[in-house]
This record gives sequence, C-alpha cells and structure tokens, in this order.
Amino acid sequence: MQFKEKISLRENMEAWAYLAPAAIILLIFWFLPVVVSFAMSFGNITALKPFEDMEFVGFGQYVTALSDRTFQKTLWNTVNYVLYSVPPTLVIALCIAMLLNTKIRARGSFRTIFFLPYITTWVAIAIVFRYLFHREFGLGNWLLEIISVDLLGLSSAWRLEWLQEPRGIWEMMLWGPLGLKIGDMPFGVDNIIRGPSLALGSIVVTSVWRDVGYFMVIFLAGLQNIDKSLYEAASIDGANGLEQFKAITFPLLSPVSFFLLIISMIGAFKVFVPQFMMTPTGGPDNTTMPLVMFLYQEGFTGEWKLSFAAAVAYILTIIILLLTLAQNRLFGRKVEYGQ
Amino acid sequence: METLPIEVIETAAEAAGPATLPIEVIETVAEAAGPATLPIEIIETVAEAAGPTTFQLVLRILVALFLVVHVTGLGFLLIHALSPQGERRTRLGLISRRLGRFFIYECLVFGSIVMTVPFYWMVVTAFKDAETASSADPVWTPQRMEARFTPPGGVDSIPVHILGIRNVGGVDMATIVPLENFHFRRITEGGVQITRRVPDPDTTMRVPAQDIERNPVISLAVDNFFSAWFRPEESSRGEVNFLTYFFVSTLTSILATTGTLITSAFAAFAFARLRFWGKNLFFYVILATMMVPGQVLLIPNFLILSKLGMLDTYGALIVPWLASVFTIFLMRQFFMTIPEDLWDAARIDGASRFRYLWQVVVPLSRPVFITAGIFDFLNNWNSLLWPLIVTSSPNKRTLMVGLQNLNDDAGAEFHILMAASCFAILPIVVLFFFLQRFFIEGIARTGLK
Repeated sequence: MQFKEKISLRENMEAWAYLAPAAIILLIFWFLPVVVSFAMSFGNITALKPFEDMEFVGFGQYVTALSDRTFQKTLWNTVNYVLYSVPPTLVIALCIAMLLNTKIRARGSFRTIFFLPYITTWVAIAIVFRYLFHREFGLGNWLLEIISVDLLGLSSAWRLEWLQEPRGIWEMMLWGPLGLKIGDMPFGVDNIIRGPSLALGSIVVTSVWRDVGYFMVIFLAGLQNIDKSLYEAASIDGANGLEQFKAITFPLLSPVSFFLLIISMIGAFKVFVPQFMMTPTGGPDNTTMPLVMFLYQEGFTGEWKLSFAAAVAYILTIIILLLTLAQNRLFGRKVEYGQ
Repeated sequence: METLPIEVIETAAEAAGPATLPIEVIETVAEAAGPATLPIEIIETVAEAAGPTTFQLVLRILVALFLVVHVTGLGFLLIHALSPQGERRTRLGLISRRLGRFFIYECLVFGSIVMTVPFYWMVVTAFKDAETASSADPVWTPQRMEARFTPPGGVDSIPVHILGIRNVGGVDMATIVPLENFHFRRITEGGVQITRRVPDPDTTMRVPAQDIERNPVISLAVDNFFSAWFRPEESSRGEVNFLTYFFVSTLTSILATTGTLITSAFAAFAFARLRFWGKNLFFYVILATMMVPGQVLLIPNFLILSKLGMLDTYGALIVPWLASVFTIFLMRQFFMTIPEDLWDAARIDGASRFRYLWQVVVPLSRPVFITAGIFDFLNNWNSLLWPLIVTSSPNKRTLMVGLQNLNDDAGAEFHILMAASCFAILPIVVLFFFLQRFFIEGIARTGLK
C-alpha cells in the first residue's frame, strides 16, 4: 500500500465543484432511476394509479411477466435475434477486416463504403429495407425472380412474403422441401427447429448489413496493432497462412473479439428500432417483436402498465448481466492480452 | 394498394372540382389509366415458345463461368494458404498469389456493391413518381411517367398532369393541367395554412384521352422532396413540417452535446488529476452504471420528468442527456496521458487549476473532444425511443419521430419515404465526410481500450 497524503478540505471542495454538474445530472437521471425502477417493479403503477398510491405486490409483476405468452414470445424473438445476428456480423466483419489488412489499393475508400451504413440512422435504413423487402415492388423478390426464372429456367418465379412471413426460416428452407411437417413438441423444441420467422430473418439481414462496418473498423485497428515482425518470424520458421492465423492473429485479436462479442450481444438484446420501424405491429404472429418493443407497448401505450414494464426492464437487465458474467467466466480467462 | 373504382373518384373529382383533389387520388387515377399490361400467362407462354432470351443466356453463361473460375480458384488459394512461405516461389505459388489478390479485390468490390445498392436505390427512388417506384420490374434510373399533350393543330407537345379521366358518351375525356401551371403553394384549407401542390385556376383543360401520350422519361424533378417535406402539414392540419423537425433535432442535439462536453470535461479532469474523498468508489459506481441498459431508466425517468413538469418540453430532450458516463470515461483516459509536468509548469507561472484545464488540457485534447462530440451528437440525433416517450405535441417532434410518423402515414408510398430518408441522413453523411478521420479513429480507439 502506498502512503496516502491527507487531502485538505479545500482540495475536496474544489474537486467536488468540478464534479458537481455531471454528478447532479447523473444522480437525478441515472442513479435515482435505477432505484426508483427497482422499487416500481414491485408495485402496481399504471396510468390510473400514480406513484404516490403505489401498493406493493411483491414479485407479482415478475410472475405475471414470466408467465405472459407474449412476453415469452418476445423474449424468444430477442434471443433469436441475438443468436442469428451477432455471430454473422462478427465473422463477416473479421473477414472484411482481414481482406482490408492486406496490401491493397484504395483501402480508405473501401473502409468508408463499408462503414457508411453504420453512421446513417437506423430509422432511415429501416425504411429503405422495408422497401427492399416489399412483397410486390421490393428488390428482394426481383432478385429471386432473376434466380428462379432467368437462371434456373423455372416457369414461375419464387416469391416470398419477407416481412409478412411468419414461418420459420429452417421450416421454409429445409423441412418444407424435405416434406417434413413440424408439429408441436414439448419445451418449445419445435420453435428451435423451425428457426426464426422469415420476417425476423429479414430484419437480421438488415442489421448485419448495417453493423458490419462498425465491427470491421475495430477489427482492422486490432489487426494493425499486431506486430508485423511476428508474421515474418513465423514465415521464416515455415508456418503457412492457416498456422499463422491460428498462432498469431487469432490469439492476439482475442481481446478485441471478446470486447466486441460482449458489446454486440448487449446491443442486440436492447434492439428496438428496426423491428419497430419495419414491423410496427410486431410482425406476423408477433414473430419479430423484441423485448424492448414489448416494454414500450405495455408501458407507454394502452393501459400504461409502468410497473409491469419496469419488471420487464429488470428481467432484461438481469439477462444481460448474467450473460456478461457468463462470458467473462467462459472466455475471459482464455483471452490473451498480449505483451 | 387498395384503389377506389375509377367512377367513384371521377364523380368525386367532378363534384369537388379538380383543384381540391388530394394528390394521392389523382395519382391513383393516373396509375389506373396507364397502359394495360398483358396477363402473365400469355407472357409466359410466349417466353417458353421462344426459348431462353439473350439476357437469360448471357446470365447463365456468366454464372457458369463464375462458378468454374471460383471453384478452381479456391483450390489454388487453399494450396497457397497451406504451403509454407518458402515454397511460394514456385510457379504454382505465384499463380495462387495473383489469384488471391484478384479474389481480395473481387470480394471487396462485391461487398461494396451490397453496401451501396440500398443507398443508390434510396436516392434513385426519391426522384421517381409513384407509378415507377411501385413497378414490379426495378427501374435503375430516376424515371417518371410523363404525360404529354399535343394541342390540335399544334406542333409541339406540352407536358401535362392528368387530374382525372372520365368516360363521356363512349369517349375517354381527360382533365389535364399543363405541368408549368402546377405548383407547390401555401393555401388555406379549413382555416389552416398548408402547403400543397395545386394547379393554377383556369388552366385546366378537358381533352380526349387518346391525344395524351404517356412515356417514361429520365427526370431529376424534386417534387417528392417537397411532398415529403410538407407532408406532415396535411396529416396534422398545418401545424408542422420537416423544418420543425430539423429545428428540434438540431437544437436539442447541439445543446445536449455541448452541455455533455462541458460537464464531462470538468468531471473527467477531477477523476484524472484531482484528489478527493470517495474518488475510487464514485468512479466504480459510474462505471457500473454503464452496464445498466437504458431501458431500465426509461420508465422512472419518465416519472421524474413528469414530476419536474418537464414532459413534452425541449428540456425533456436535453437535460437528461447533459452528462454521459461514457464521455467522462473517454476523456479521463485521455487526460491521464497528459504529463503532470505541464501542471507543475503552469503552477509556477501562477495559473489556477481552472485556467490550466481550459488553456492547457482542453486544447491538447481536441481529438477526444471531437470524437466524444460526434458520438454524443449521433446518439441524440438518432434516438427514437426517448423522444417518442417524453414528447407528444407535433412541434416538439424530433426528426426521427417525424420520420417514424411519416413511415406510418405514407405506408407504401415509397417515393415519398425515400425522399424523406434522403434528407434525414444528409446532414450526418456530410458531417461524416468532413470528420471521417475522427469517426473512425474514435471508434477504433474505444475498441482497443
């Protein structure tokens, strides 16, 4: 332990004066809400029942939420969104970053092009992709028509409902063509086998398209941080490209990858805008509605069930915290932080 | 799209007079009046009888070539990747290296196309009319259907807008107005001033429909941008348009960002360079709040704002965002790298801490200020859920809420929606091209810390 000098009152006052503006805002709008929200989630506040008249109902709201069919469905949608959007985004981003990390011309222009979707707003992008996935005049169905009619010579074109399609993607791509019917199975296993609905799949495609650039930029920075002499040494020792990737690139990139995995999963769990913009009603059979949209619908429209929404928000927080902790446990130790 | 029978519209048009007809109805009529298309079955039979078209043949050959080249190419590449560096000087090694470079460019170019097509499509559609924007075969250039009318005995045809077509005694008669007499005007409707595209009075004509030619033409007319810009006026009775939304978004984003930068600079300086009781504890508490998802704060913040009487004010959009944990953290990390010797030098010269902060630390930290400023600005500019919840009156709508409203309101009128999307992202794209270095370096830095 280092010897600590006594801090004078004057020094303290000065420091707190510097902190005060930010601290006051954070106190009112960040710390206080965490507590208030926690208290609220055990009450029964609605539009008709203000904060002062709150009655404590214990874990009532949590129980209601967890046993609510719509809640379960939105939770499942969110999990699906996370599982199907995060890994492809990271893998594609890493691939592009590795391509850009070679000796090529116009690297800056390519980087700009890949990065551009990320800075444009989600709202505008969602509108554009709603058009691209439109069943009558979208480019998606046009592309399918080119493939089916012009390329494969079929007499009638493939057409998809995209954002209006409640069927699962595996159901459509695998089980349907194989002639297998998926019936109800215990523990919702059939939902796993069916996969996310095509509507949610379309939204996943949109978000992968948008986020790839962001992760690519961070991966690229990570790649450029790796000492070039390591590769030279490895090739003198006769290591081939694959071995170099396994022995140098992958381990030295693992802190960046780990960081990106965590923030992208947290971000994906909090998803709201694409679903809200592309399927304002929650999609066909509610197959796209994420947790946050459910929270918005329950808490800020209709009956304004604020306590219920607070409980939903806390469940979301707990999920995110547990996930982060679990990831830390699983991978955190294996991450190599280099020199 | 659901359409009314032509007769109903026509009767309505007749009754109301052409000037007051809403654009959509006119558009619908124009669409319905377009050239009849052959039934699909007939087209297909013809296609089958004639064998594959040139386009189909070329497409199939190209795809076959692509597959052959890439399957063999992938083989070469695999050999390249698995052969040790020393053996790459052989002929096989050279070929595979060239191929590899070719593949890299090819992948990047393909990826760039995937990235840019949606943007291109957005811009192109913004210049189309409703009919072209909703055609099943994509039109890749900014086209619109132009109706031209040749006056009897006249030589030159004039572009016209068709207000309606009606069958009179077995002959289709069109009510038209010359395009040059069809303007965006501020008109008073139901006691409210709104902007709408109206024909000049007394310039409408009624002519036989067969004298009107309709052809697609390339056009860069900005009608859609006007329609999108003024569209909210029609839905909310003339109170607001996108000028209001831009004003609200710009004002709140700039104020909130400036405020955040100032409060965060002070706080970060305290954390980086000052000593006080509870410093570590407070810092860890601040870091912990970064873990809490914003949605948890949404509900209580709504209640807090309503207790403070700030719901549905600009304050609701600004005050809660006047401090940011992330910005404090970012700045603290940067301030820590500034050598302590500078403070000693400044103190010897008689500077106070406050002066040292503003005259030494802040100028030295310009990059981090720009980076943090960009992030805060984008966060405020792009946020949708928060303004959706805390504001309700139309004149406090931010651009994103306005766009979301338009999305609900315009539904399948994608030419209008694309125009609105264009001007909504334009400021950010311009900002990006000016400050690109800071955007990318800032993001790269946050990832590596």
